[in-house]
This record gives sequence, C-alpha cells and structure tokens, in this order.
Amino acid sequence: MTLAFLLHQTVCGAIAAAGFGVLFNIGFRSLPWCAVSGALALAVRTYCLDGLGWNLEAASFGAALIVGAAVQVLRARTDISQNALDVVGCIPMVPGSFAAKAILGMFALTSTNTLDASETLITAVQFTLRVTFTVGAIGTGLAIPTLLLRVRVTR
Amino acid sequence: MDAIESLIPDDSGATPSLEPIAMVALDAGRMLMEAGASANGIDEIVAKFARGLGAERVDLRIGYASLAITIGIGPNGITRMREVGHLGVNQRLDQELWHLAERVSRKEFSTEQTRAELARLATKTPRHSAWVMAVAVGLACAAFGRLLKVDWPGTGPVFIAACLGQLVRREMLTRHVNVFICATMVSFLSSLLGGLGARWMGSTTVTTAMIASILLLVPGVPSVNAQSDILEGHPTLGSARAVTVVVILIFVAAGLWLGQVLLANWH
Repeated sequence: MTLAFLLHQTVCGAIAAAGFGVLFNIGFRSLPWCAVSGALALAVRTYCLDGLGWNLEAASFGAALIVGAAVQVLRARTDISQNALDVVGCIPMVPGSFAAKAILGMFALTSTNTLDASETLITAVQFTLRVTFTVGAIGTGLAIPTLLLRVRVTR
Repeated sequence: MDAIESLIPDDSGATPSLEPIAMVALDAGRMLMEAGASANGIDEIVAKFARGLGAERVDLRIGYASLAITIGIGPNGITRMREVGHLGVNQRLDQELWHLAERVSRKEFSTEQTRAELARLATKTPRHSAWVMAVAVGLACAAFGRLLKVDWPGTGPVFIAACLGQLVRREMLTRHVNVFICATMVSFLSSLLGGLGARWMGSTTVTTAMIASILLLVPGVPSVNAQSDILEGHPTLGSARAVTVVVILIFVAAGLWLGQVLLANWH
C-alpha cells in the first residue's frame, strides 16, 4: 500500500460522504464533518485491507467501529443530531456494487442459455454473502459504540 | 373508592387534556421517522415531547407505516395511532426536531405552540436546491467509481449520468411516482448513460462505470437503520426495513440489467 493510494481512497471517501450529506439535506456548515467522517472510514478500511491484510468484512467492521466511536466523542462539537454523522461516514463502505452483481448473477441464472450455471451460481452466492456480511459488519461496528456510550432515556 | 371507580377518567379539567398531547407527540415522531431516524431516536423524541407537554407515562409502538402511543396523567390515559408516510432522509429536519424537543422538554412551549412550531418546521425547513443536490450526487458517485477502480476516462461519464439520474429521480418523486418504479427507471437511465459515456470515452471499465452511476439509489441509511433497529430491540421494524431494502435493490438491479442488455446491442 502506497501513501498516494491511501490518500486517493481517503479523498474519495470524503467526497462520497459529503455528496451523500447533501443528498440527506445536511447543512453546508456541517458538511466538512461528513467529509471527515467518510475520510476516516475509508482511511481505516484501506489500511486494514492493504496494510494489515484483513478481508473486506473485517476491515469494514474495524472502520465502522472507529467512526462510530469518534462520532460519539465528537458529537457535542458537531451539532449533527443522532446517528447522521456516523451513517454518512460509512455510506461509502456500503457494498452497492456487490449487491448489484449478486442480483445480476441471479438474473443470469434464469437465462435459458447460461454457459456455466454452477460457476454463475457460486459467484452470485459469494457476492450475496459478502454484501450481507459487510453490511452486517458496518451496522454492528456502528451500533457497538452507540450502545455502549449512549445515555438511555428515562421512561 | 373501589377499584372500578379508580379507573374512571377524571374530567375535572385540573389536568392537561391528553388528546392534543398524544397527537403532537405522535406528529413529532412521525416527522422524525419520515426524516430517516432509527427506532430508538423516535422512541426518545416522542417521550421528550409527551413528557414536556405534561404526560406522566409514555408508551410507544413503532411500526413501519404507523405509530401508536399510550400516554397517561394520573388515573387518565389514552391510546392514539398515526399513519407514517414515505420514509426519506432529511437531516436538517431531524436536527431541528431535536432542538425543538429539547425546548419542549424544558417546558418552554404549550401544546398549541408546539403544534404550530412543528407545522412551521414541516414547511419551512430549507432543502438544498435540485441542482446543488444533483452536482453533489454526481461527485459522490464519481468518487464511488474511483473507489471501485473505475478508470479516469470512465469517471466523467459516471458524474454526468448520476447528476441526470438524481434530477430525474427528484422530479419523479415530486410527481409521487412509486419509489420502486422510480428506482428501476433511474437505474436504467443512469446505467445506460454512464455505460455509453464510458464506452465513448474509451474506458476499459464500462461495466463498473455503469454500476457506479446507479449507486445514488443504494438505500444506505435504511439498511444501517434496519440493523440498528434489530440490535436495539425493534425486530419488527428492522425486518420491515430490511425487506424494503432488498426489494429496492432488486428493482435497481432490474434497471441496471435492462441498461446492460441495451448497451450490449448498441452499435
């Protein structure tokens, strides 16, 4: 892993998070925090993937855990309510392309002239499992700091 | 006083009326839910509003399409239900609702003032303009494309395709087109434009560029909310959100598939 590659991934994570921040109607004043959140997520994930040799699911879990903890610590300063900041930061890690490939693989299986049905099935199942485990890893990584650090409301 | 007599509601007028408190608290919860909050946030904000307006007991049931609340003051109690509309994401409204909840919980507002403030927030909370949103989404998808290893010639078309896709999506949602149909149509349009543009620019990553062009449609917030709802003890709502996410992804993939079929036959 080169520093240039890490920087590239970090900047792309920041742009993607800030872009989705606008889509989610976050105010301009808070957008830099979204960018920081996305940059942190992608920097940690890239380091875990390429620096430490973890798989995508483990790296996504580690990145979500760190983003979730950082957001909990910084919440008072950012003035963005509840879980917006950590979710926006982790959006660039949601494996949308794997999900699309998994469903397209399922579509291909139903075709009458599938060349190698068993290989297509295995690839589609692999993508499906990776999407499931990665989204699960992100959700769990975000939930742990929230559940540990949040003050529960008295009912 | 016997047990039956103690259950008869006290209508002396000494306590605040329960009906407006329940409806205002439900309205706040509905607005927060439609703005993309998770179940725990909705639970918390409804309790803040109801207690701030005078309720002593608050119990909330959160469904995918409705909220039901039971509130009580002394021996009196009522249960009310409110329908919830389309679940989008609007963080500025979310933020404003939390600020209002803090003030209501400090008893700075009466029930009527709170209702008026909620109505004001529903209509006056600013949104980014359609063009700002389209450019931001285009940049986000282009950055996504780079993360997915789309080459530089393919990145420009991804930006343009996602911009146009977002403009079309917003227009369709304004016209109340079904969200699933909208997802398929925008996915088809964006993937086709992204693929054609990438091919025209000489990109070697046309398929990935097509996928990057439709990433604006991936329901990221609902998928994270689904899991956090299940983890935080709301499995029914979490499961409903997860099913919706899967169905949206299927409709998005259908549009992408159509785009790929058309591009493969485009000479």
